[in-house]
Amino acid sequence: MEQLFDVKGETLIVYLPEELDHHYAGQIRKETDNYFTGKRIRDVVFDYENTFFMDSSGIGLVMGRYREVRYLKGDVYIVGVNQKISRILEISGLYRIAKRRKNIAEALEDIREKY
Amino acid sequence: MEHLNNQMMVEFDSISKNESFARVVVSAFVSRLNPTLEEIADIKTAVSEAVTNSIIHGYENGDGRIRIETHIVEDTVTVIVTDFGVGISDIEKAMEPMYTSKPELERSGMGFAFMEAFMDELFVESEVGKGTTITMRKVIRIDSVSQKEENSIYK
Repeated sequence: MEQLFDVKGETLIVYLPEELDHHYAGQIRKETDNYFTGKRIRDVVFDYENTFFMDSSGIGLVMGRYREVRYLKGDVYIVGVNQKISRILEISGLYRIAKRRKNIAEALEDIREKY
Repeated sequence: MEHLNNQMMVEFDSISKNESFARVVVSAFVSRLNPTLEEIADIKTAVSEAVTNSIIHGYENGDGRIRIETHIVEDTVTVIVTDFGVGISDIEKAMEPMYTSKPELERSGMGFAFMEAFMDELFVESEVGKGTTITMRKVIRIDSVSQKEENSIYK
């Protein structure tokens, strides 16, 4: 798979693929589950920098991770959002549960200040 | 003047890899109307939602075939997605935003809401044990026909 994962401290960074549909969301979910069982993850950062397509499966993916991080009072961050997918994120209401930041550095800064 | 009416039909296996194929084939067919990038994105999202529903719900991730018909009549695109799967017993319930019959699969319950939001019209017909047909319509707004022809790559 093309997209990469990165762990910084207790934060999991997910570099999302170009197209985030049901097919890819399922694969990413499986891989993130491995990180959650293997390591202590408190916050998750979803990077949309390279994503130009997303449907409701992408919304389900973020909602699912939100439920997991809430056990440890962590947050889900959405970064790198471009114009192509900003509308779908707004309509979905995802910003009510996820924090929006400009880029990964800003999200990590926010996480550092929390703890 | 170019004949503006056109239609196509494709049928493919119900597997998640074909979701991107479905989006691409419909958007390529519609592109001759010179839609804006936003209109194309809307249609792609709606097609993706309908096809994903057929795969996950219609065939419950099992074997099956999905058919997509696309009609262009002047400036209106009609996309019809049909599966021959289990059908929907309560269409009204299925269409409620945030409702999903499969929360364990991390469905957001927003599929129909997105189809409604991104297309101009949405009709759902279904019969339990026979399958489901989703009909979606969108008007591609064109400033003028002459401008469209000027920009067209299909001369």
